[in-house]
Amino acid sequence: MMGSERFERLGWRNKSFDAINLLFLLLLMLVMIVPFLNVLALSFSSGLASMQPNIVLFPTEFSAEGYRTIWESLDLWRPFLNSTIVTVVGTVLHVMLSSLAGYVLIHPHVPGKKAMITFILLTMMIPQEAVLIPLYVVNKDFHLINTLTVLVLSGLVSGFSILLMRNFFMGIPYEIAEAGRMDGAGDFWIFAKIYLRLAAPGLATVSLFEFVGRWNMFTAPLIFINDSMKYTLQVALKSIIIDTSSVSSNYLVTTNVKMAGIVIAILPLIAVYPFVQRFFMKGIMLGASKE
Amino acid sequence: MGDGPYAGLANYSQVWHDPFFWKSLTNTLVIGGGILALGFIAPLVLALSLNEVLHARFKKTAQMVLYIPHLLSWVIVGGIWIFLLSPDTGLVNLLLQRLTGTQPIHFLAESFWARWVMILVATWKDMGYSCILFLAGIVTINPSLYEAARIDGASRWQQVRYVTLPQLLSTMKVVFLLNTMGVLRIFDQVFVLRNPSTAPDVDVLMVYTFEKGIMNMQVGVAAAASFLVLLFTLALTLVVRKLTRFDEVG
Repeated sequence: MMGSERFERLGWRNKSFDAINLLFLLLLMLVMIVPFLNVLALSFSSGLASMQPNIVLFPTEFSAEGYRTIWESLDLWRPFLNSTIVTVVGTVLHVMLSSLAGYVLIHPHVPGKKAMITFILLTMMIPQEAVLIPLYVVNKDFHLINTLTVLVLSGLVSGFSILLMRNFFMGIPYEIAEAGRMDGAGDFWIFAKIYLRLAAPGLATVSLFEFVGRWNMFTAPLIFINDSMKYTLQVALKSIIIDTSSVSSNYLVTTNVKMAGIVIAILPLIAVYPFVQRFFMKGIMLGASKE
Repeated sequence: MGDGPYAGLANYSQVWHDPFFWKSLTNTLVIGGGILALGFIAPLVLALSLNEVLHARFKKTAQMVLYIPHLLSWVIVGGIWIFLLSPDTGLVNLLLQRLTGTQPIHFLAESFWARWVMILVATWKDMGYSCILFLAGIVTINPSLYEAARIDGASRWQQVRYVTLPQLLSTMKVVFLLNTMGVLRIFDQVFVLRNPSTAPDVDVLMVYTFEKGIMNMQVGVAAAASFLVLLFTLALTLVVRKLTRFDEVG
């Protein structure tokens, strides 16, 4: 009797705990979601309605005028194009170079392999921000300031990606490479036809990391680019959304226009998010266990 | 520009004697320390709470939703929050007014709030990321430990306290060390969320470096400042490694 009563009480306590816990999580999810709903609703509202002090979760006076204004009048298509070019070209080159470097480091008899790995780890210890000023000086000497090339070049390889790719390649039995060599295949063939194929999840992980990182890249374009024709999306949005006054003094940027800019910048990330779900988590863990 | 005359330690001494450098170091340590503390505790609580959820679909959805802000750039996150926190049309102030009827708070203009905004928004953005690291650590805990605890009559809280937390120690150390290395390099966030009225309270070391090197073209001074940042980061990392006895657990 006593026992079952105790059990009942525990059951009740368990249930109330679960309920409170669930409520807590739902509340946190709301804190994450509501800002985005607010942004989305305002971006589809008319200019005047978007400036009203109301709690808005659905568009009032539905209109796409914000999108038209920012895309055409404020020429957001140009920074969008610049960002797309830099992101796509940069990501493709980054993945190619990092996986090539990672491939070199899996062979057992590479001279100086230990030194190379130590050196790569060392580069990961130095925060990128700490070398921005020297980088600026070097890029200036190479006449790379105000070119999109400099944005592709910055962070073209990274220790993180090299070691991540190496980790994925190490998961493939080395005997396969040896068998390929026995059959007379060259290293490049083995790399391209065997390793890249078998390490496809690794390629996806590095590509996604790089895609998101480059799309969001802010410090590099801020420092290396000051010609507004070469602005990337993040830098352009910074001036439209945040220092609105500097865009133009006679033209008031309404809230719906700013919010449309935010939605446009988020869209490509939302498009890759399902894949992020699949590959990021694994990649994060591999990256973290490296440290 | 690379062939300037040898200046000895002049640049370093200029930085060393610049009160703004020390002011921005203080700001960096206060804001960075806040982000380090809250950005560690919040995701830990979140991970423990998520771990108690048995419904797999809900758990997955929650994780997905909480991770979204981490994907976005600081320009976007900053833009969203500057708007949300604005005194007259921002959602936060509108809600506060409806609920408590207080006067709108100028979150981004008052020096009391400026640092808190930095810390809270950073936590909002990166909570989901660290949470995933913690969750991944929790998954690797041997289930038989929980079984043994249950047989000994441990309640759910006791299981968390005496099994999950001690077993999670090495993951906690990794997360803390990773976050420490980021403390001194905060830039994007401050650069986006700062404004003239809060600048004295939030301008961090990297903003100092940026202003010196890019805005005022004092490249030598800026390089000296960033080298000091690098040294501070190394020192801080070493101290944290020692304090957490990182090597012992690995």
